[in-house]
Amino acid sequence: MAGISSSGLATNYIYACTRMRVRRSLLIPREDYLRMLNMSLPEITRFIGETNYRSEIDELGTSFSGINLVEEALSWNLAKEYQSILGLVPGELKYFTASYLRRWDIQNVVTILRGKMQGMRPGKIKEVLVPAGRLDKVALDRLLTEDSPERVVEALKGERFYPILETELPRAIETGSFAHLENELYKSYYARLILDATEGVKGGKIFLKYIELEIDTRNIQNLFRLRAGHVREDVRELMIPGGSFSVEELQRLSGLEDRDEFIDALKRQVRAAPLLNTLEAIRGKSVLHEIEVALTRVQLDQMERMSKRYPFSILPILVYLEEKKYEVANLRALARGKEADLPGERLQGYLVM
Amino acid sequence: MVDVGMTLEMVQASQLGMKALGAGLAVGLTGIGAGVAEMAIGSAAVGATAENRDVFGLVLLLTVIPETIVIFGLVVALLLLF
Repeated sequence: MAGISSSGLATNYIYACTRMRVRRSLLIPREDYLRMLNMSLPEITRFIGETNYRSEIDELGTSFSGINLVEEALSWNLAKEYQSILGLVPGELKYFTASYLRRWDIQNVVTILRGKMQGMRPGKIKEVLVPAGRLDKVALDRLLTEDSPERVVEALKGERFYPILETELPRAIETGSFAHLENELYKSYYARLILDATEGVKGGKIFLKYIELEIDTRNIQNLFRLRAGHVREDVRELMIPGGSFSVEELQRLSGLEDRDEFIDALKRQVRAAPLLNTLEAIRGKSVLHEIEVALTRVQLDQMERMSKRYPFSILPILVYLEEKKYEVANLRALARGKEADLPGERLQGYLVM
Repeated sequence: MVDVGMTLEMVQASQLGMKALGAGLAVGLTGIGAGVAEMAIGSAAVGATAENRDVFGLVLLLTVIPETIVIFGLVVALLLLF
């Protein structure tokens, strides 16, 4: 009886997790995506204007139109949703949720740095920011007013990722590529997640299970990407440590020449049956984005199963946060694809349904 | 409890006391049980209603289902007393 043992605390968990489950049930179902594949952009805008995105579409309808309206509405909705979840989850769950949401800080800061590097207008950069992390709208606006990438980094003094930004920025500016900086930021993000999960806060072990799954999926996706790009060099720097595969193991896997051999070797290391099935199914797929979508789908399914094993933990919240993220990504892909006149069948391959 | 030194009145009074105690326990303990059960259901119900007001009637019904235990307790208590 979870309810008695922790003197009322568990009721907060039950409350928050139920809310997440209800919200999850209101996400756009597969059938609606399939219907949207046959719609035009204005029809899609109207369709999502009748769902959870109504208030954003109404609010932004006067200032934006077409694809920009959809993009803005999606970003606003995502940020609003994440902030509202952060407000309603209790105690330890809030700690883990905030920790998870720091991913958006990295995305926003890197976007601002890239924009500043390219000399974009602050207003234009602002359109693609998602203020869902610790840096809120005000903080991001302040960063946008800075003139150069160096000044932006300077303004971030005191943030967790400042030391990495400070050391990596000169190299990024010199080479003109933020890829390495971004990799390092994400690696530190995952390292920090592991630290947050293992420093003894209640429920950390369950959070750690998610982190491991996430890191494994990212690493496997990256291995497939590297294979597709025919990168055979040292991949140790590109892999995220902390998952169930060691970095050395991943390096060995990436060295395998034959694709079937690579998948077999990967399968020997994996225990989860759904992932094994997906890897087997991937054998027949050659298009990279299909492989990525399949792996993402299996990760979400795995998280869903785990969240049922631990129904009142951080997992139901993470499942919703992740699924919401992919819903927004799907809608964006749909809108962008329709804008570019791509056929529905082609777009379908990019959607995580 | 009953020893040879007790009068009939004393025995009867003691039995009445025991019955009252039993009735009290029957209602009290089932009340606690129902409360514990409703704690989890209630928090889930509030969570669900916060997201979707339409389910209010349904979750209210689900929340009070454990009250049946108290009714059983009450029936037992009444049977004991009368």
